[in-house]
Amino acid sequence: MVAISVQELTLRFPVYGVDAKSLKKHVARVTVGGRLGMHAHATHVTALSNINLELNAGDRLGLIGHNGSGKTTLLRALSGAYEPNEGRVEVFGRIASLLDLNLGIDPTATGLDNIYLRGRVAGLSAREIDGRIDEISEFSGLGPFLAMPLKTYSAGMQARLAFAVATSVEADVVLMDEWIAVGDEEFQTTAHARLDDLIARAGILVLASHNLELIRGYCNKVMRLTGGVASEVTDIRRLDDLLAA
Amino acid sequence: MTSTHHMLRTAPKGALSEALLALDDLKRSAQRVGLAWSRAWHDVVARYRGSILGPFWITLSMGVMVLGIGLLYAQLFRLPVGEYMPFVALGIVLWGLISTTMTESCDTYVQAAGMLRQTALPLFIFTLRTIFRNLINLAHHAVIIVAVVAIYGYWKVMDLPVALLGLALVVANIGWMGLVVSIAAARFRDVPQIVGSFMQFAVFMTPVFWKPDAIPERHAILILNPFYYLLQAVRAPLLGETTVNGTYLFLVIMALVGWTGALALFSITRRRIVHYL
Repeated sequence: MVAISVQELTLRFPVYGVDAKSLKKHVARVTVGGRLGMHAHATHVTALSNINLELNAGDRLGLIGHNGSGKTTLLRALSGAYEPNEGRVEVFGRIASLLDLNLGIDPTATGLDNIYLRGRVAGLSAREIDGRIDEISEFSGLGPFLAMPLKTYSAGMQARLAFAVATSVEADVVLMDEWIAVGDEEFQTTAHARLDDLIARAGILVLASHNLELIRGYCNKVMRLTGGVASEVTDIRRLDDLLAA
Repeated sequence: MTSTHHMLRTAPKGALSEALLALDDLKRSAQRVGLAWSRAWHDVVARYRGSILGPFWITLSMGVMVLGIGLLYAQLFRLPVGEYMPFVALGIVLWGLISTTMTESCDTYVQAAGMLRQTALPLFIFTLRTIFRNLINLAHHAVIIVAVVAIYGYWKVMDLPVALLGLALVVANIGWMGLVVSIAAARFRDVPQIVGSFMQFAVFMTPVFWKPDAIPERHAILILNPFYYLLQAVRAPLLGETTVNGTYLFLVIMALVGWTGALALFSITRRRIVHYL
């Protein structure tokens, strides 16, 4: 079973200012009796309010909205990293969150070591990675460079490796923050095909993007976030109505 | 990225359910203990990549320190080297375990920020990682212990099973201390400095370099000092000495009380830790 169910999700962030991060200032406040700083308390930002979302197998949801509208926050809540202040988030299926390709990567380790490091974070056992290592290293196209530390790679080579590992998992739910475009032109084509394949096998895709053409191309549903408030989940064919609204 | 098959995240529903969720975090961490171990192992390998001696560099510098302090302080304290050297060697190695675990716990969550912000990984994995990393280092430093025990003939009088029991109790206690420190350090950025100065103060207040029988028995500096019990629980049996009555009982109670407190703190802050970072 593959499904995402979000009910009345509200997420509030405590934002800790410089003074709020100091234990000394907290103690001083208690002993002196008065408030020393104006910003001693954490401010709360409501990043998402009352989000409702039901997705089932075959749904490809595009998230649109301005910077700071809550797209990434919603993806993080779906990945299980952020816990709701109100409401609930329920996900059935294996989640692949491709929010940050550098997840779990160590620049001082070799390319090969990084495949293992990243794979372990993704929930693969060492043996499972052993089974995929040939495929991953072949896809990355890095060949002998896999024995070199990642910091000696160019940015493009690093991205190739990260991409190859991140997309080597089996996933039912793919969470993506902007379409991943890495490498040179030739690699981009194969990367694109690989990502397409991953998404095709997954039941659900949630893609946050500012690129409307991309959303049109990949998604069959769309949701617009404005200051943490979500629109209805709309059919992609009515994207223009949603934008006009 | 993670492969959870069913994930449910709900709003807080009272203290009891938060406590159960904290315990569930521990349970899920135990299920993924392999990840904690592989990360810890990688940390050790990465830190010493390119050096011939690897983690034995620290062992070597510790060994030199043991030798220097052992010879000099034996003179200062007018003690036979054969008696003082093993004492201080064990003290320095064990203190290293306790103190480094505390200072490195300050980075436990800060270091893991990237992973915590986009996966459903349980938090306690990273506390395990810090503890495992320090145990791996201890395994290297065990060379020093083996050397002094062999050279000064303490293998004839030592009580290894009791020492290992003592070590287990030490790990149980630095576990909860590490959890508390890691949460505090994620929340307040001046905690690493405080922990650093505190551990430096504690090393002089605890019989690491000086022998406990140099001061009156049951002096407050000993009986009120938890680090004294932690050290003695492993050191005394290896030196063929008996510990102060109740050392092990004290450590068991400290572990139980400590874990209760640490888990209470963990269940209160668990949801917010990711936002601290």
